[in-house]
Amino acid sequence: MSKPKAQVFAVENELGRLAREPGGRTIDQALRQAEQRIEAVRDVSIASLAEKADQLAALAAATRADSAPGGFGDLYDLSNSIFGVAASFGLKPLAEAALSLCDLADNYRNGEPANWPAVDVHVDGIRLLAMLGQRAGAAVAEPILEGLRKVRARVLPAT
Amino acid sequence: MSNLPFTKNDRINLSTAEVLLACGDPEGLNILSQMFQGFGVHTPKLCSNGADAKVAVQARTVNLIVVDATLGDMEGYDFIHWLRRCDIAPNCYAPVILITGHTRPSQIFKGRDSGASFVVRKPVPPLVMMQRIMWLLNDTRQFVTSPDYCGPDRRVKALGPPVGMKGRRHDDLSADVGAATTPNLEQDEIDALFSPKAVTR
Repeated sequence: MSKPKAQVFAVENELGRLAREPGGRTIDQALRQAEQRIEAVRDVSIASLAEKADQLAALAAATRADSAPGGFGDLYDLSNSIFGVAASFGLKPLAEAALSLCDLADNYRNGEPANWPAVDVHVDGIRLLAMLGQRAGAAVAEPILEGLRKVRARVLPAT
Repeated sequence: MSNLPFTKNDRINLSTAEVLLACGDPEGLNILSQMFQGFGVHTPKLCSNGADAKVAVQARTVNLIVVDATLGDMEGYDFIHWLRRCDIAPNCYAPVILITGHTRPSQIFKGRDSGASFVVRKPVPPLVMMQRIMWLLNDTRQFVTSPDYCGPDRRVKALGPPVGMKGRRHDDLSADVGAATTPNLEQDEIDALFSPKAVTR
């Protein structure tokens, strides 16, 4: 039996039609209002990071005890969401630490034996950076990140 | 905004656009919601998981879908894969922006092949999101349905088929150029093409 052929056809760009209707706002206004609205949720979003970091610690402990059904998959998702919020508000050290834990969790979720000291040091670093929030200046954050970079390089040398 | 394909005084009207935002993280979803309300979207439909997003797609017409790669109960890639094959027109053809955080190497190809119109990596500030939306407003790419792929044509540039290949589309032009059928233009005729003059009647 022959493989069904591909079909290629034009579709109406309804979004484009709607966006060009009279009214609306200038791009400048739209960007400013979006930035203002995001800024208005900065405090509540950053406060949520400390809660997420605590959840991360609990999840890591449960995964280690083999009592977390989602295991490293859930740890990966939670760390990824910490990265997303931290990066949105310019918390670069926390974003980098969360991304580094994503690398580890992604490596371990397919059954690789976990290096728990490496996971623990990441979770502790993320908790500290999340607790400090915007107060985590370079003097505090850089030694933490330097430590995490070394751990990551040792545990995942090929990536 | 000097290098952008729009100026700050260009207008955009998203007040009647139906926008679906899906993200597994409540704070991430809130940030997206604030951004799109700032852009002028009246009431974006917010979905905190893939199952909700599927229900929303079945219940209403949507003009733009912004989906995070992590939806809690499924991956954003799988939602888009379902959307493109669900046969719920016109939603299955709607533009989709996929937002990714940490990206595994295998996900780069997954994102490309899922059928998303755009894949954007976090952080996504309002200016970057607006750039993608403005591009989508002028998107004239055709839609492709095949056993292996459903989504907008992944060839953004019309460069024709690779050298030495015939091409698979009816509008693919051959790389071989035929012999000239008319005499070459004289230099003054070429010059005339570049120096238009006012015509007096």
